[in-house]
Amino acid sequence: MADKYLVQPDIDFINKVRANGGESLKKCFQCATCSVACPIAPDRKPFPRKEMIAASWGLKDKLLCSPDIWLCHNCGDCSTLCPRGAKPGDVMASLRMMAINEYATPKSVANAVNDRKKLPLLIALPAIVFIVLGLILKMLGINWLNFSPERIHGEIAHAQFFSTWLVDLVFIPLSIWAVAVFALGLKRFIADMHKNAVAEGKTDKETIDVKGFLSALVRVIPQILKHNKFSECSENNDRATPHMMVLFSFIGLLIVTGVFFITLYVFGIHGPYSQLNPIKILANISGIALIIGAALLIRQRMNKPDEVSTYKDWYLLWLVLGLGVTGMLAELTRLADAAFLTYLIYFIHLMLVFHLIAFLPFSKLAHLVYRTVAMAYNEYSGREAKKA
Amino acid sequence: MSKKYGVYICKGCGIGDALDIEAICDVVEEEALPCKTHDFLCSQQGVDFIKKDIEEEGTNTLVIAACSRRVNYNTFKFDGCIVERVNLREGVVWSHPRDAFPMLTEEEKEDENNFDRVQMMAEDYVRMGMARVEKVKLPEPYLLETMSKKILVMGGGITGMSAALDAAAAGYEVTIVEKEDKLGGNALKWRKQLPLQPPYENLIPPMVADKIKAVENNPKIDIYTGNVVARIAGQPGDFTVTFKKPGEKIEFDVPYPLPPEMRVDENGKELEHEALMEKYKEYNEGRRDILTLDPNGEHFGAVILAAGWRPYQPRDDEFPHLGWGASPDVVTNYQFEEMAASGKITRPSDGKEAKSVVFIQSPGAGDDADFPYTGVVTSMVALKQAQYVREDYPDGKAYIFYEHMRTSGLNENFYKAAQQDSGIFMSKGEITEVKKNGNGLAVSAKDTLLGENIGVSADLVVLGTGMLPVTYDDPTVNLAYRQGPGFRDNDLFDKYADSNFICFPYETQRTGIYAAGSVRRALSVEESMEDASGAALKAIQCLESVNRGVAVHPRSGDMTFPDFFFQRCTQCKRCTDECPFGAIDDDEKGTPKPNPTRCRRCGTCMGACPERIINFADYSIDSIGSQVKSIVVPSEDDYDEPPFRILGLVCENDAYPALDILGMHKKSFSADVRLIPVRCLGSVNVIWIKDALSQGMDGVFLLGCKHGDDYQCHFVKGSELASIRMQKIGDALSSLALEEERVAQFEVAIDDYDKIPEIINGFVEQVEELGPNPFKGF
Repeated sequence: MADKYLVQPDIDFINKVRANGGESLKKCFQCATCSVACPIAPDRKPFPRKEMIAASWGLKDKLLCSPDIWLCHNCGDCSTLCPRGAKPGDVMASLRMMAINEYATPKSVANAVNDRKKLPLLIALPAIVFIVLGLILKMLGINWLNFSPERIHGEIAHAQFFSTWLVDLVFIPLSIWAVAVFALGLKRFIADMHKNAVAEGKTDKETIDVKGFLSALVRVIPQILKHNKFSECSENNDRATPHMMVLFSFIGLLIVTGVFFITLYVFGIHGPYSQLNPIKILANISGIALIIGAALLIRQRMNKPDEVSTYKDWYLLWLVLGLGVTGMLAELTRLADAAFLTYLIYFIHLMLVFHLIAFLPFSKLAHLVYRTVAMAYNEYSGREAKKA
Repeated sequence: MSKKYGVYICKGCGIGDALDIEAICDVVEEEALPCKTHDFLCSQQGVDFIKKDIEEEGTNTLVIAACSRRVNYNTFKFDGCIVERVNLREGVVWSHPRDAFPMLTEEEKEDENNFDRVQMMAEDYVRMGMARVEKVKLPEPYLLETMSKKILVMGGGITGMSAALDAAAAGYEVTIVEKEDKLGGNALKWRKQLPLQPPYENLIPPMVADKIKAVENNPKIDIYTGNVVARIAGQPGDFTVTFKKPGEKIEFDVPYPLPPEMRVDENGKELEHEALMEKYKEYNEGRRDILTLDPNGEHFGAVILAAGWRPYQPRDDEFPHLGWGASPDVVTNYQFEEMAASGKITRPSDGKEAKSVVFIQSPGAGDDADFPYTGVVTSMVALKQAQYVREDYPDGKAYIFYEHMRTSGLNENFYKAAQQDSGIFMSKGEITEVKKNGNGLAVSAKDTLLGENIGVSADLVVLGTGMLPVTYDDPTVNLAYRQGPGFRDNDLFDKYADSNFICFPYETQRTGIYAAGSVRRALSVEESMEDASGAALKAIQCLESVNRGVAVHPRSGDMTFPDFFFQRCTQCKRCTDECPFGAIDDDEKGTPKPNPTRCRRCGTCMGACPERIINFADYSIDSIGSQVKSIVVPSEDDYDEPPFRILGLVCENDAYPALDILGMHKKSFSADVRLIPVRCLGSVNVIWIKDALSQGMDGVFLLGCKHGDDYQCHFVKGSELASIRMQKIGDALSSLALEEERVAQFEVAIDDYDKIPEIINGFVEQVEELGPNPFKGF
């Protein structure tokens, strides 16, 4: 007899998948309607049928390392057409969240990020970090946190209240941490993903050749930017545009932050910038797009009672909306010369940015990285090109 | 009764337009019978028109030439009158429309060599109707001298108790006989029971104790525990039953017929009657003959056989690839249930907790069949037992590998509910190997839903084996019938007590004995209880038919029964042997002893009898023979090119209705064919065929039900016996110098109406190729 796979169901894993939004998982009776219905599943070893049985059998080792859970864009076509109400789309979403948890270290942070009860703690954390750090520095005579900020040329400048130095003292290490956490996770993820693909016959490649993988990544990025796959969905097609708005506004804001960073530390030019500055225009457009995109995504989720939306979904969506709203409001209140209000809002904005960066590898937002890598791997593997 | 005839021809429904009614009246009047026509005979005026003759003229023997006898049955039913329905509508004008079979023009009529086939057909059918009524009598019921309305229920399990309660609720006295010392049967041995009512999701506590209480408290139910049936003698309405302790040997133990090898001498020749009787007595030493009634026996009217099942215990070497016999940790579902009922689930080998249990539903080895003697119930039991594993151990795992997951009806909800358990894993798959692995077992499966060959570590493996009907081991009913104590040819039903699961549920091959529960099919409690109601109603139907002297089923209400003219009997025993229902016993001399209430009135005995001494009041050798003889067979003396004449003897259960449907669909077949409905092809006596051929008819065909393993014959063996007789008729034909191809038998189902024209026309063409019957005109 040919090689066989020793099945070792993990009941705890099944219960977690169910608790994370995949409650309907066990309703599946393996008709494969989902794999047929899926507009984006590859012909060779299509998903999500095989993921459904693997998950209902608790085969963690087959799932969390699989690129396929990331190739899924949660179109929802499968869930709509499922004759048993097993909602494969929601199960895949739950699996992705568990994969993020699996590859993130430390686990305690990952668990806290995805636990509704820990939210107050997470909210308190950045506030404490900033204030405690600011006060310690004050004691050392460095006045980077100023509770009675002066105006610059009569104008409010947020940096007078919260020094850029203080902000970056926190955010630069935080960014390095996020990158490190991702790097550690991705190292294991890519290796596991390849092992899984080889075992399940999803690739012909024996090893991962770095050059080939990177060139696949380069090929995939324009597709991601254009939302090619997302647009193939029918059920959740209306999510593609708002999602694209959010993605592009983040890219816009990343550019803005990068430019400001360089001008500040290299050329020593301080903000606030004129509203006519092209960078400022980009920042404003991105901010508005972020708010609209996030608001639409929230509304679409609310209008879909059939689809399971869990804490992980809401946490990210409200965080994104919060970022956009506090960012724009901080600017507007500054222009309106409402000093107290604008400092307060700016402070909240900084807290949210802290969340975004610190918890990026642990929250649903990590899909940005994992999905990109998985899609690049899929492109690299040659699975789509070769028909089974 | 002195017959006063009347022939009534209806002109409605297109009959009057297509036929020359006056010419038909001439045919009637040739026989010196009164002929009356009406435009709309089934209308109130039409019926009154007939009734007037009955009342005023004393007409009591009616030939109604109108529609098929299968329609307007009650309209043309006249008490105290013999009624023959000549099927001019479906059988002649609808199935032979004038656009395909044109009337003769006035010009054509001039030439005497021209003839109108459809008109000839109608005239023949009217002649045949008149011939029949002349020969038949009004039936009189056969009534038993003494009649018991008590019902005997064999088996005190769930099915037997439910049947007893149902029959008692309908007002009948019931006796339950149970071989064990207490009621309850297999249901006593379960931890939990499958759901009985919506939402059909959860297991329930066993309800057998409630049933026992209800039975014990019912004043209409007598209970004999620790007893079995030694013999059931007599016939429905008048069974004499002898009970005994299990294992006891008594003189009223039922005698067995001689096995085939003892019926022949050294040369393989069948022994003479006397020698056979001697051997029979020797063989059944110490047992009284079937015709001797136990003076101390109890009387019952009908029997419900609810004797149930025993677990299928595989042979030691039956499933080596499943580890059966090699490891004590491979058990059957029955053994598992016993273990579960007595405590936590453990490994038989070392008594350790069994937390990983694999349930196997099909033995595999290249075959996708489930274990033998299984059904929906075995799938349901696997789902039930998987839940026991989960009840006993929160981290327990239950795997079910199946080829078929059968959860019929709302039991689908039970499957869905079990599926929801995080620790129950199900997959279609074939088990390739079960072998020892340390203290546990390693199970390998292929073709699973996981898409690859898989292995599972198990503490315990449970085989989803089946439920053997008790009739597998033993006749159980112990009927004092000449054909033997059990159900004949029961191998056809894998020894289940059955006669046709779909068409005739509960009816066994013995009238008055109704099977229910797992003796009939592997069934769950819910299904068994439903079955019990069905069988109880059948038993009641039997009692309430026998008391009026009418047939129970399938010819419900038929008052006729076979009447033997014993003076001419040659004791050939063919009737005793061939009766599909064992209705005929024979005495020491071999003279048949009919038991009319066992009879289903198929007429197989009438077809079998070489002396033609068995007849029914309204269906006899002579009545059909006369119909055959009344068909006009034109010869060259009449026409230059006389038409062929072919006789069709048509089973009235499926084939005749199919012909009516054909007529309704205006499909046609050769107009040279004359059809006579028969009760069953088994009732066809070869004399009719010989008569037809010797009077010059060119061919004869039989149209009836499918026979063989998946037979559709309403009388189990009729069409099969007919086919055997047809094979033998070849010799008789060759002695007449006729070709064998002039006689044929065809099978149709009731929905095969569209195939009939092809069958009939094909046969007609075959006969035409042979040329006309040389006896024509003699």
